[in-house]
Amino acid sequence: MDEFLRGLLIKKWKLGSLEFTFLDALLAICITGTGVMMRIAVKGYTVTDNQKIGAMLIDFILAFFCGGLVYDYTGHRNKAFLTYSILVIYPTMIANSALWGRNSVYSVFFFFVGLYYFVKHIGTRGKWWGLLAIAAGAARAGIQFRLSDKRLTLGWPNFYEIIGKEAFVELFNQVSVLCLLGLLLTMAYVFVKRQVEITKDLALRLFLFLALLIPYLAPSMPAWAGLTADIAALVYCMRWPEKFYVPMLHLIVSYSAYAYVINGETKLPMALYSVILLLLMMDTGAGIYREIAERKQDCI
Amino acid sequence: MKRILEKYQLDRADVLYLLVITMIGLAIRGILRVVTTVDWTTYWDPWIMDLKEMGFSYLATDRYDYAPSFVYILWVISKLPINPMTSYKTLHIVLDFVAAAVMGKLVSESTGSKTKSFIAYGAMLLVPTIWADSALWAQCDIIFMLFILLSFYYLFREMPNRAMIFYGLAFAFKLQSLFIFPFLVILWVNKKIKIQHFLWIPGLYLISIIPAWIAGRPLIELINIYMAQGMQDVWSLSIKWANIYQIIGNQYFLLEYAEAGTWLILGILMCVMFAMAQKRYRITKEFIVQMALFFAILTPFFLPHMHERYGCLADILAILYAMMNRRRFYIPLLQILISFNSYMAYLSHLGDQEPAIYYGVWALAELGLLIVVGADVWRYMMDKDNRILLKETAVSGGVSQSRRAARRGG
Repeated sequence: MDEFLRGLLIKKWKLGSLEFTFLDALLAICITGTGVMMRIAVKGYTVTDNQKIGAMLIDFILAFFCGGLVYDYTGHRNKAFLTYSILVIYPTMIANSALWGRNSVYSVFFFFVGLYYFVKHIGTRGKWWGLLAIAAGAARAGIQFRLSDKRLTLGWPNFYEIIGKEAFVELFNQVSVLCLLGLLLTMAYVFVKRQVEITKDLALRLFLFLALLIPYLAPSMPAWAGLTADIAALVYCMRWPEKFYVPMLHLIVSYSAYAYVINGETKLPMALYSVILLLLMMDTGAGIYREIAERKQDCI
Repeated sequence: MKRILEKYQLDRADVLYLLVITMIGLAIRGILRVVTTVDWTTYWDPWIMDLKEMGFSYLATDRYDYAPSFVYILWVISKLPINPMTSYKTLHIVLDFVAAAVMGKLVSESTGSKTKSFIAYGAMLLVPTIWADSALWAQCDIIFMLFILLSFYYLFREMPNRAMIFYGLAFAFKLQSLFIFPFLVILWVNKKIKIQHFLWIPGLYLISIIPAWIAGRPLIELINIYMAQGMQDVWSLSIKWANIYQIIGNQYFLLEYAEAGTWLILGILMCVMFAMAQKRYRITKEFIVQMALFFAILTPFFLPHMHERYGCLADILAILYAMMNRRRFYIPLLQILISFNSYMAYLSHLGDQEPAIYYGVWALAELGLLIVVGADVWRYMMDKDNRILLKETAVSGGVSQSRRAARRGG
């Protein structure tokens, strides 16, 4: 009996070209059910309209896509599977769609589809489709964006939590965007001058870095501004498991930002979370620098 | 005397240490035994009074929400011609010493060092969360912890049937024994336990409720007693335990997060078990403790409505772990500090005042411990020397090759 059951866990099944074990199937069913139950538990907080139902469905599709992305990066089936499983029960994704009805996942979905296409077709013309999808996601996010003239941040623990979010709001609203554009331009300039080739790994590092950097400096960032980085951090950790602390810390920061806006108070000072984000950004940035430096050395 | 010392391979210093540390352990408990806590006046005392009045027929009522096994002990206490609090605390203090002795035996079994085993015995007697639980608070967690320690003892000796009997006994006293249940599943996957051994868990629980059932309490109520217990203290997502709710806020979305949080931890445990069940490992004593400690920290970190005392299982496992792995000496220190801070938050000011260091900071420290222990488990599993090759891995050679190909492509 024991041997039969233990054997059953790892027995391989084939469905067309798809190969899976009983344990895979068990987790897939159970975790999908758990994801559904978690959403049902919190959905009553806001009205459940068609858009919200759509967002909840896209949560699952995005989780599946990210599983594919991880498989593409690692060639590791279990990691891909775990990515799907973790994202299905990812607290910020659930809070964003099912609890709060913010439905940011529509934009985020485009970002990840874009990344997926980009890395799949790296070095070919197909990569432009990926960039186009990212641009489409950005356009949707831009349409939803509302600039505040009262505060520099609307809940995301970014740079303005440290320097003060209520001073020079109108001026800093403009200055911060210019600074951000300047930084992005400088990055692009360095990449072009040093003729850095964007590989799959570098694309992922850059994607996460930008997902951290942009909401860190942009004005009027809402509490859910870290959703893209939340998910990207998980993919990043699956690619480089030693970076396990990145998704963990980011998720805590991100969920605390939700709690701060929804509940009106936070258990720890928001400035602390801003510092954590800054450290994560430095860590990711250092990763990009190291990868470029190592590649240069290899060339020499 | 000399002959006894030779027989047990002890020297005078060993005997002196054991004697003095035992005296100190007794003195600590003797000083604290006079404290009467709210739990005593609100629960145990009235229950014992009712037991005195009604006798065994009290067990037919729904006035108690603890496992019947514990109420049988109260029934025995109600029959004794001694002050109930004295007899209650004396029993639990005795169990503290038995648990300390078992801890010493466990350390001796796993390290082979007599000195370490005596130190472990002494540490157990000095740990504040152990003496505060029994002698001060008049709580009963030492009962299930003792059974858990005995279960480890038999697991170490590769006697899984006895180990599961003791685990089943622990479950018959306290639901918190389930915090570490997933590690038993991993042991089963790795052929250290047979599936029929798991039957001891429901089996012993069912046996333990029979007297209460005979007394007249409906069977379904007795089976669901832990469920009912879980519904009691739902006024906060964390009842002073340093977990995730102390970081995100424990007073909001009580109903929603209570349900979602339970599903979340189930999901997390599924993912962890899935990852761990993929491969077969060499099961060492240290790995057993590592896994159990990991789950003992992980489960209450995400489970809603966790009480101040729910870190006590992790406290004793942390001691055992540090005794086996000297470099992790700081784990029990920090774990017990976090745990005792939560105890005191209840005992000293009953939640009226905030503690000097805020709960959220403790929760981050607990998260740090979870990461350290989790990383230890992960490193053990990743170490090729600890892997046992499966027949099927030969089949999955194609997957490995494709993985290598993918890496080259990346």
